[in-house]
This record gives sequence, structure tokens and C-alpha cells, in this order.
Amino acid sequence: MLVAGCDVGALTTKAAVMRDDVLLGVEVVRSRAKAVQSAFDVMDKLLARLALSYEQIDYCVSTGYGRSLIPFAHSNMSEISCHGRGAHWLVPSVRTIIDGGGQDCKALRVDKHGTLVDFRMNVKCAAGTGRALELMAESLGVDVSRLGPLSQEASDPIILNKLCCILTQIDIKRLVLEGRNRADIAAGINESAARYILQLVRGLGLRKDIAMTGGMAKNTGVVSCLEQALGTGFVKLPVEPDVIGAIGAAVLAVDGFRKSSGL
Amino acid sequence: MIYAGCDLGVAAAKVAIIDDNGNFAFDIISYKSPIPQAAVDAMVNALAKAGLTDRKIDRCLSTGLGGKAVPYSDGVVPDTICLSRAVREFNPRVGTVINIGGQSTEAFNIDGKGGVGESAVTDMCVAGMGMFIEVIANALEMPLDELIRASLGSKNPLPIANQCVVFAESEVISLINEGYDKLDIFAGVASAVAAKIAGLVRRIDVIEEVALVGGVAKNSIVVRNLEEKLELKLASFTGVDPQVLGAYGAALVAREGCDLRSETISMILAERFHGRRKQ
Repeated sequence: MLVAGCDVGALTTKAAVMRDDVLLGVEVVRSRAKAVQSAFDVMDKLLARLALSYEQIDYCVSTGYGRSLIPFAHSNMSEISCHGRGAHWLVPSVRTIIDGGGQDCKALRVDKHGTLVDFRMNVKCAAGTGRALELMAESLGVDVSRLGPLSQEASDPIILNKLCCILTQIDIKRLVLEGRNRADIAAGINESAARYILQLVRGLGLRKDIAMTGGMAKNTGVVSCLEQALGTGFVKLPVEPDVIGAIGAAVLAVDGFRKSSGL
Repeated sequence: MIYAGCDLGVAAAKVAIIDDNGNFAFDIISYKSPIPQAAVDAMVNALAKAGLTDRKIDRCLSTGLGGKAVPYSDGVVPDTICLSRAVREFNPRVGTVINIGGQSTEAFNIDGKGGVGESAVTDMCVAGMGMFIEVIANALEMPLDELIRASLGSKNPLPIANQCVVFAESEVISLINEGYDKLDIFAGVASAVAAKIAGLVRRIDVIEEVALVGGVAKNSIVVRNLEEKLELKLASFTGVDPQVLGAYGAALVAREGCDLRSETISMILAERFHGRRKQ
């Protein structure tokens, strides 16, 4: 049995292919304007690398904002279920998952089978999302991937107290003009993102173990702020944090295939 | 005597110069991020326009977000005071002022003594501020002036679902990709921004006439939408750029005179003009 998961996100599109219960490979590409294009981009790339073809995939589950548009997917699931299932499949002790995506951030709880129990997510405002981090990093004049390492050099983090990332951008530009330490500003940016994510986690209630998924988990600054505020470390996931939704979709594809073939 | 006011805001530096006889000259320099040098350049330009390059400024006050950073200022005045002063100078019937800046939107009443009465401010979210429109105009890849002029004729303004500008930007990009007309999109954005401003204004008891000041006052499609939503006609200011009113008000306060050696100028002024507003 060969299954695939495809996660079409706002900023990046991810795919995972599994044979039975073994992960064969994952791939990430930058999302394009149309979800279908992004999905084909990432699948073409991954299947070529694994020397497989679309016909060989028995079942594919799509997720993410463009999930209903993907022609090669047999069914689609919400990204919330996929992140929960993916993180739980990788580390079965996980009960709480904090997912920092490109345009959303959410906190979700799964039971011991990896099934979604409850979740909280941002609805109206981009505060605490990857896009907000990217915009704020842009104003600081660094790539978003540098925010984590840069913030470790901070001695006196600057508090950025505006909710709106566009208004925070203006504050950051002013701080840069004033010649303030860039590391201190970077630490302030991470802290502000963590602050909004924390609200979601507190709303959900905390249950261990906790894992962080989504591109935001790559930012060591945000992760350490959250760990400190929650008073507990996060479990290490054995793969890059942005592909967990795609892996979860592939795990759900196993279920889907069994169901569809009456097994 | 020559008096000046400088309003160093988020999006532009504005300088106004007046004399005792009511002569008035001004200059505006727009920028992406606040630069104190722009305050100097705007002052040089305004002096040239007034034909006063060889004259000394007798007193200059500054206001706005960067008011403290204006290098030649004799003191800083809160922007509400400058605005209520300037608006009354041009139109004494105005009771409520809506000020839409780059970084905050506020609505306040001018009380009987010309001070600031009831007020409502929003400064946490960019929805309903000038910056919202700038971000969207950027995404539409058309100059703002052209968008405003052309979208006034839009017959089908598209409803914009997102209040957050980050989400609205992606929404707008999807709409362009789906083949919708850019002008219909922009007309929808103008309506959404006006709705947000109207929501804030309704939090106070509006006293007509109502004046709209700040950069967005020059955006005729937002103005039209706001008038529809508030069901009133906004007061017009003939012969003055609404963006320069803050600077003009600072110059008026400078002309009226106050003890500029005192570091507590804003407190003195607050007592004098602010009335029941808490400091």
C-alpha cells in the first residue's frame, strides 16, 4: 500500500509519501497563487525523487486551505486533524500540539489514539502567525529564519506591545532608526508572537506532552519563550516541523485506503 | 512675527508657517518610515514657499508621533489640541473631529471652550487606518491617486471579508487571481475602511458639523463611503490640505504664545485645552 498526504498552506506546500507504516520521504515548496499548481509542484518533485508515479499512489489525503481543489487527492481533511494525527504518529505520548502556520496559529488536543478532541485558533487577526513574523523580520532587515539565532544574542529584549503586526512594523523601523540593538528587537518580535500563541494554549488548557509544529517551530526564540511561559519543555519531533501536517494527511490516507477497500 | 508648526507623523512630515496677519504656507514630505531629517527638509521647503528664507522663525512647536524628534522645535503639543485649534480656525461650527493618522484613528468632540471633550481612539489594529489602504494599494500594484480617482466610478464594490490587513491582502490577491476588477476590489476596501471608522465614531455622541482630518481625508472614495455610513455631510475645508491641519494647529498654538521655557508645556496646554479629558 502506497499513500500520500499533501498539505497546501498559505506560504508553503508540503507532501509526504508512506509505504504501509514507513515514511518514504517528504518535500516542501513555496506556495504559488493557485493551490492546484502548488500541489502538483510538490508532488511532482517528491514522486520524481522517490522514482514513483501518481498511478502507484493508492490513496491520497489533501489538507490546508486549498484542500478541496486537489485533483489527485481521494479525500480531504482539515489541517487541524492532520497536525494532531501527524504529531501523535511521530511521538505517541503527545497530547497538546501548538501549530504555528503561515496565516494561522492554533493549539489542539488529541487523545491517546491521535484523534482530535478540542482546539483553539486565531480567526480575525494575523498576530502570532508566520506571516506576521515575516513582515516584522522584513522591517528589521533580516530574513525570518534569522530571528531565532539573532534573538539568542539579546541582552535586553524590547517589548513590542502592539497587537497589529503592521503597526509593530512601524515601531520596529523607528527602533532601527534610533539605533537600538537588532538582537534585542528580534527577541521582542519572538516574544510578541509567543504572547498571542500563549493565549490560545491557555484557552485550551495544558496537557503534556506538548509538541510544536508548523514553520514557527523552527524559530528557537519563539519556542523558548513558549517553553518558559508554560514551564515545560516541548518534545522533539524527529522531522522538520513544517511537514507534520502532510505526514498526518498520509497517516489518515492509510485509514482512508483501508476503509475504501473494505479492509 | 513668524510662527511655525511641524507635525512629524508616521507617513509624512508636515510643516506650516503663519504670521500675525494670517498668511499661511506649508509643505508635506511623505516617507516610508519616520526620518527627523524630513522635518528639516519640509521646513526649508515651506520657508521657500512663504518667501521667508532669510527670516527667523520666532516660535515653533511640534506635534505627532515624532514630535519629540523634531530638531528645531521649542516644545511638543498633543495632536488633539493642534487639530481642534486648526479645525475651529477654518470652520468654527465644527463639533466633532475624526482624525485618521497612519498609526491611530480617533474621534473627539470639541467642547464649548475649544478644548477636547468626549473621545474614542483605536491604536491596536490597523483596520480603519490609512496604513490599511496603503498595504492594499501596494498589493493592487497601482498608484493610490489613480486607484482613488478610478474606483469612484465602480458599480460593484466587492465585499472584503477580512478585517485584518494581512488576511485582507491575501484575500485581495486571490480576488485578482480570480479575475475580479481591481477598481471594484479597491472600492470594496474603501467601504470596509469607512465602516470601521464609522464604528469608532459612533462610540461618541457626534456633534455636527463633523470634520475629517489626516491623510485619509484626501481619499475621496473613503470620504464618500464614510458620509453614507454616518448619514451626514462632512464639513469641508476650502483652501487647506486636511493633512496639514495638525502642523497648522501647532503654529496657531505657537502664535497664541505660552511659556516655552517650561518643560511641562504639554501639561499647561492640557489644562488649558483638554478640559475633562484625563492626562
